[in-house]
Amino acid sequence: MALHVGLFADAHTGEPVGDSIRAWMQIAVHELSVCQALLIQVAEHACKQGAAAVVRITIECGPLSGVEPTLLKDAFAIMRLGGIAAAAELCVVPTVVRIECIECGGRTETRPNRLVCAACGGFRTRVIAGGELRLRSMEMRTLEPRPNYGRTRMVSG
Amino acid sequence: MCQICGCAIDRMGEPVVVEVLEGLLAANDRTAAHNRAHFDEHGVFVVNLMSSPGAGKTALLEATIVALRDRYRIAVIEGDLETDNDAVRIRAHGVPALQITTGTACHLDANLVHRALHALPLAAIDLLFIENVGNLVCPASFDLGQHRNVTLLSVTEGDDKPAKYPVIFRASDLVILSKTDLLWLMDDFDPRRAAAALRELGRGTPLIHTASRRTPAIDPWVDWLDRELAHHREPRYLPVPPARHIAGVPAQHAMARSADTRVKA
Repeated sequence: MALHVGLFADAHTGEPVGDSIRAWMQIAVHELSVCQALLIQVAEHACKQGAAAVVRITIECGPLSGVEPTLLKDAFAIMRLGGIAAAAELCVVPTVVRIECIECGGRTETRPNRLVCAACGGFRTRVIAGGELRLRSMEMRTLEPRPNYGRTRMVSG
Repeated sequence: MCQICGCAIDRMGEPVVVEVLEGLLAANDRTAAHNRAHFDEHGVFVVNLMSSPGAGKTALLEATIVALRDRYRIAVIEGDLETDNDAVRIRAHGVPALQITTGTACHLDANLVHRALHALPLAAIDLLFIENVGNLVCPASFDLGQHRNVTLLSVTEGDDKPAKYPVIFRASDLVILSKTDLLWLMDDFDPRRAAAALRELGRGTPLIHTASRRTPAIDPWVDWLDRELAHHREPRYLPVPPARHIAGVPAQHAMARSADTRVKA
């Protein structure tokens, strides 16, 4: 599949690289686990709703979740195949890191590795956003109604 | 309304948007809570040890077993991609060790630990160490059912590791600076810089020094384990789950804060 060749090719020459499938699995494998969990969750919700196909999946992913959106999308491109989300689009809504100071209550928007209060310099803070890793919403198509055209068969004895 | 039979189902075949708002690792978290319930039922205190490969997790465990085996019944779950070399090293000290080989998976998850815990004599264990796969990225995202996370940072790595890998260091309840007997050789590693980088993560995580080889110097680690185990065994009633698990804030501060609020109200 073209998709696979693209992912497992040498970044400079574009040539497929022999061991790179394994290498890619090693690098991105926790995104693979997360993606697998996502697809199971999506299938469960789709089943509950009686959906025929999932069209779009929207997730929130913060910098402190430890999941890289690009790698998650790469994993999704392969792992969605053959399931109810085979044609689905994955939308990743990035969030920013926001902290609240326990000492002064000040709120700061900041980087993942600088979680100290910008107002008072306090080292005790609470992360109020940026650690999210959750399924926000799903768009799906339900089954088409079976056309009956009014010809109800009556069985009489 | 349906044009064919007049039924009320008018959205057949149309896209339907459903709001879910559920964590992606909800299934793993449920299994982890189940594991924790098993551990609590048998009074086992569980520590998840994480670090990059070669930071000295197994060496620290060997020294810990020698120091504590007369006082606590210890067991170890080892996670590695291949080989049971680490489990063999632990078993040589007469302690039960279970090896999980993950193949290509770069972390342990709650399911793997669940399978392992049923192979362990939980009723005969006080202290269980889970030595995670050597990796500073992936293990941070998966709850295993442990009570405490401990991350090792060896002095042969960079002192800016907490700034480079904030997710795992922020998830830690204790950070151990290991191989400190080599500190005199490492002119580019400054423990103060490591401590400053850790403090920037805003949790006030304690940083202690250990050396496990030759003449082991692991007293601060042993004291910490003693304290945490004693604290864990104190009978207590928790009407609400500790806020630490929700917002990543140490429990005592969350409680202090709620107490303040109550006084003002």
